[in-house]
Amino acid sequence: MTEAIEYLQFVLAPQMLNGLTIGVAVVLVALGLSIIFGLLDVVNMAHGEFYALGAFVSMSLYGLGVSFWLALVLVPLIVLPIGYLIERGLIQRVYQHDQRHVLTLLLTVGLSIIMEDAFHLIYGPNTMRPENPLPGSTEILGVIVPNYRLFLLAVGAATIVATWLVIYRTRLGAMIRAAAFDKHMTASLGVPVLRVYAGTFAFGVALAGFAGVLLAPIYSVFPTMGHDFVLLAFTAVIVGGIGSFYGAVIAGLLLAQIQAISSLYISPHWSDPLLFAIMVAVLVVRPQGLFNWMGRS
Amino acid sequence: MRPANPAVSAAAPARARRRLGVRHLAVAFPVLSLVFAGIGAALGETFYLRLATEALILAGLAISVDILLGYTGLLSLGQALYFGLGAYTAAFLLGQGAVGFWGALLASLALATPVALLAGLVAIRSKGVYFILITFGLAQVAAKAVYNTRELGGSDGLVGVPVLQADFGLFRVDLGSPVAFFLLMLALIMGLYAGLNYLMHTPFGRTLVAIRSNEHRVRFLGFDPWRYKLAAYVVAANVAALCGALYPMLRGFVSPELLYFKMSADAVITVILGGVGTLIGPIYGSVALVGLRTVLGSWTEHYHMIIGALFMLAVIFMPRGFAGLFDRSEGDPAQDEGEGT
Repeated sequence: MTEAIEYLQFVLAPQMLNGLTIGVAVVLVALGLSIIFGLLDVVNMAHGEFYALGAFVSMSLYGLGVSFWLALVLVPLIVLPIGYLIERGLIQRVYQHDQRHVLTLLLTVGLSIIMEDAFHLIYGPNTMRPENPLPGSTEILGVIVPNYRLFLLAVGAATIVATWLVIYRTRLGAMIRAAAFDKHMTASLGVPVLRVYAGTFAFGVALAGFAGVLLAPIYSVFPTMGHDFVLLAFTAVIVGGIGSFYGAVIAGLLLAQIQAISSLYISPHWSDPLLFAIMVAVLVVRPQGLFNWMGRS
Repeated sequence: MRPANPAVSAAAPARARRRLGVRHLAVAFPVLSLVFAGIGAALGETFYLRLATEALILAGLAISVDILLGYTGLLSLGQALYFGLGAYTAAFLLGQGAVGFWGALLASLALATPVALLAGLVAIRSKGVYFILITFGLAQVAAKAVYNTRELGGSDGLVGVPVLQADFGLFRVDLGSPVAFFLLMLALIMGLYAGLNYLMHTPFGRTLVAIRSNEHRVRFLGFDPWRYKLAAYVVAANVAALCGALYPMLRGFVSPELLYFKMSADAVITVILGGVGTLIGPIYGSVALVGLRTVLGSWTEHYHMIIGALFMLAVIFMPRGFAGLFDRSEGDPAQDEGEGT
């Protein structure tokens, strides 16, 4: 009996908590991916690089003497206009093409190649790690939790809720959903659809950049950091249903949890194949993912 | 009428003219290559001949992407999976001394076919973007699995693939000779081109093009698009695996990089730059890309940026690629109509 409690207290619970923090970060990245697809019909293959961009910009800001707290606010504000300009300048150019699905995706593939190489060029190939802004830990119900993870959890959850509120409870959100549902009708009602598109893309990548700042003190910062993380986010988006808000949240949390718990029993090297197998199993039953597209929800 | 890809759905007379243009490209390539091989042999060149051979091997991977993207309308971002599968199968068996040239090629195909059938079953059932993301994810997961498997050499890969003699019955080709390997590869890739070009003009290939243009109508006509797509997927996988199997014979080793996203992305870049839906375009594209990489790589190690930028410009301004320039159906109504969704 005591053994079971000790196992729960020292092994399982901390691991589940780890899974939860990573899950919240995955949801932030997956949400951006899902919103961009749900509205623009664009699969953003450069999303992982925007996550890395957030982390790298924060490292530059720290170098200038900016504190972590200020960087947390500044980084999304820096990534936002970058995303806006990229959407307006590049991605919007191929919207009229009949192969837009493929072409927009290819554009973002090109973008991801350029961005990753740019990180190499500017920051070098070495791994960097910012200081932990909240050292120490707290004991909750006998489980020792690092303070920073608690903070990440709270901020991440608040951001997810705020995003939900904006999309489902504000006039702006209504415009976004309307544009996703019927672009032409929405445009004829006076909504500047193209600007809404660019703004949504910018918002989605800013979310990824925000996740990059948040996760930098836990993971490290290196040029290819986007790759591994975005695969998890992509898996979450596919399992949840591309373009679904709830799908991204639930699948993101669930997959991160499965990954965390499974790593107690199997080598972490094999957790990716495991998650992938789960994804395939879901797709066999429901080829469109678990939840519906947000334009119709 | 919903316009399909202009490269494949051009009006009939324009199509005839276009094929003439592209056919010129298909004739020019082996002629230029033979001249190149002759000069290379005369000068006793090794480096550029081997580089050109690698370009031809990678052209096979690009052709495999083109079968899917250009003829079936399926974008695979994980075609490196089959290239790597072929390469690892060949390297593993050759390293053991278990098989010769033909055995290695056959084993790669024998393994790629069931894997592609299984993966295709899942990937093709899921439509549109799901297909793209599944192929992407599958290759990423396979790359990681290989990277972490010690039996396959882990991050180092497999080394020590012996230099082979390819036995053609009447004659033998010494793969240790750069000229001989180049000529063999040229014959193989042109053979692949001719065979696939023929296949795409059979009723099977025509159905694929029809699926690419309008899958719903194909279904109404009584065809099952699903089966055709799966068949195309398996054919493409076999093409990639075959060329992958030749890679260790040239380089003497394989590494997990062969399965990475970069390989798959490079293949897609090659197809777009060369000309999607032409089969010959990707061969030119591969030579151009390998050449560009070598030239740029001698100046800076950050050449990916330049290639990425070039690729994006091509997607925006020249989505039909190099071979598209030889397609004289420019004023085609199917192209100008371009509608949004």
